[in-house]
Amino acid sequence: MTDRQESALLLLPGLLLLAGAFLVPILQMLALSVAGPDGGWTLDHFRRFLGDGFYLAVLARTVRLSLVITAICLAVGFPMAYIMARARPRPRVWLIVLVILPLMTSVVVRTFGWMVLLSRSGLVSGLLRDFGLAPRNFALMYTETAIVIGMVQVLLPFMALSILGVILRIDPRIEEAARTMGCSFLRALAAVVLPLSLPGIVAGSLLVFTLSASSFVTPNLLGGPRVQVLAASVWRAVTQTLDWPFAAAQAVILFAGVLAILVPYIRIAGRGHG
Amino acid sequence: MRNTVLLSVSAAAALAAAAASAQTITINSFGGRYEEAHRKCVIAPFEAATGAKVQIVTAYSADAFAQLRAQAAAPQFDVIHFSGGQEILGAKEGLLAPIDAASLANAADLVEVARPNLAGGQGPAYSIVALGLVYNSQAIPAPPTAWADLARPEYAGNLVLTDMSNTYGLQGFLMLNQVLGGDMTNIQPGLDAVKTMLDGGAVVVSTSPEIMQEFAQNEAWVAPYSSDYAFTLREAGLPVVFARGAEGTPAVFITANLVANRPNAELALKFIDREISPEAQVCFAGEMRYAPTNLKAELTGAVAEDTPYGAEALGSLLRFDPTVIEANRAAWVEAWNRTIAR
Repeated sequence: MTDRQESALLLLPGLLLLAGAFLVPILQMLALSVAGPDGGWTLDHFRRFLGDGFYLAVLARTVRLSLVITAICLAVGFPMAYIMARARPRPRVWLIVLVILPLMTSVVVRTFGWMVLLSRSGLVSGLLRDFGLAPRNFALMYTETAIVIGMVQVLLPFMALSILGVILRIDPRIEEAARTMGCSFLRALAAVVLPLSLPGIVAGSLLVFTLSASSFVTPNLLGGPRVQVLAASVWRAVTQTLDWPFAAAQAVILFAGVLAILVPYIRIAGRGHG
Repeated sequence: MRNTVLLSVSAAAALAAAAASAQTITINSFGGRYEEAHRKCVIAPFEAATGAKVQIVTAYSADAFAQLRAQAAAPQFDVIHFSGGQEILGAKEGLLAPIDAASLANAADLVEVARPNLAGGQGPAYSIVALGLVYNSQAIPAPPTAWADLARPEYAGNLVLTDMSNTYGLQGFLMLNQVLGGDMTNIQPGLDAVKTMLDGGAVVVSTSPEIMQEFAQNEAWVAPYSSDYAFTLREAGLPVVFARGAEGTPAVFITANLVANRPNAELALKFIDREISPEAQVCFAGEMRYAPTNLKAELTGAVAEDTPYGAEALGSLLRFDPTVIEANRAAWVEAWNRTIAR
């Protein structure tokens, strides 16, 4: 067996899995999204979505929320990853355990926890009311803020761990050199560590953005039926209006929308780095 | 030689699998207390009597129907339960198998409205749920007596509405729409009223447990919902009362349907027959306060007071035409979504 054959053999299971579990369903979805009522094909489902302010607003909310969630995860995750990277091995292990710990409970359970905290008589809403910061009937539940809070908690580990991996590989002496040359701590962080950890930031942001754009459970539970995101709208079209071609069209639009944002982001980030 | 051995081994395995699956049927149930009652009243006695095993998938009607449709080529359910009239669409699409009334020992004892089209594939209704006004008798200043009361401005901040994705939510909305001057061709009066309620601070939830949460923790006063869930709330220790609206009581029919193209239809029919038996229905009424559809079911005591039963009482319940609902569902859900969207 030649090397080439061996690598082909090793690739085969992965390729089969990708083809069966990813490509075929995506192709089916694409086909369904242009399926006409009489077996022909049509672009009506896309026209219906793009010509309707209601659905465009759902799309805009999905993208906006995903961007906000990504930005907050980055703002919290980067300093966290930096501290973890520069900590001694023992405390680092504990910090990593702390970051990963939330991943060990199911998303649904964590989200139910937030539902209790954010509801009208829950801890968070109650405190805000007690301090006179919010009106009597105020609740964080069923708002976009609730979705952002819940999603940031779910997705922060992805961001922190992606950045951590890269910062760990940055030689601390580069940073020391910057400090000896007269950089302040923050200046060294911004001018040296940040640019060098760009690959981790890109990878983390991509993960967080795509996961939040396509997530369904947390936004649906914390946002309620009144704050709809695209994934929930797809689910509604599948289970309630039973309009599967329209559901497929919405899924294709979500897919295309995520791609449209990701591709330039990867390009710009890639150029900046190398 | 090796091939023969392989062949016979795989044939034996296939046979074993077939034998095992003949002893198992897969059904959907609706979770929570309902599923507990379902187990106690139907599933456990059925398993004891037949020696078969029942696999339960927890799925509400809309989700269950979506699954049934997705599995059209290779269905996974044997008996599927709906509360939203999905059996009409399922029968039309050939996903459900016709039932010969003679194959169900208890079919003849069912009240007429519970078996509108067995031969067409629409399974029999085994429970009927009454919808009305569920309110917290301690918190509310003046209890509601009519559906129109839901529109009172002083309720709005403590009013809980249910999303149209939920069968009870849809039926309650149609009733509200009707008393406000709308009908099955015009739901605008209902939508306008809902818009006003939401602006006044009403919340929309999608599932029963969320209603419990609203009553238990979030100062809910009133919700248009079902008598069985009012009972569940009361059992949970909440001071909740169920009142029938003066304008009428809409009813939801829970049906048991035979899925087409499954190998063990005979066992599945036995299961359905048990669901429509008097014993199962009396048990269901005791656990959940569902109205029995079998006229031989006798209720006594507190259960009889809480639950409408008998041909006359069931006849007075309102039923929105499921075929009209099915025909309009997509458009209504979309209009509803637009109305409630922030």
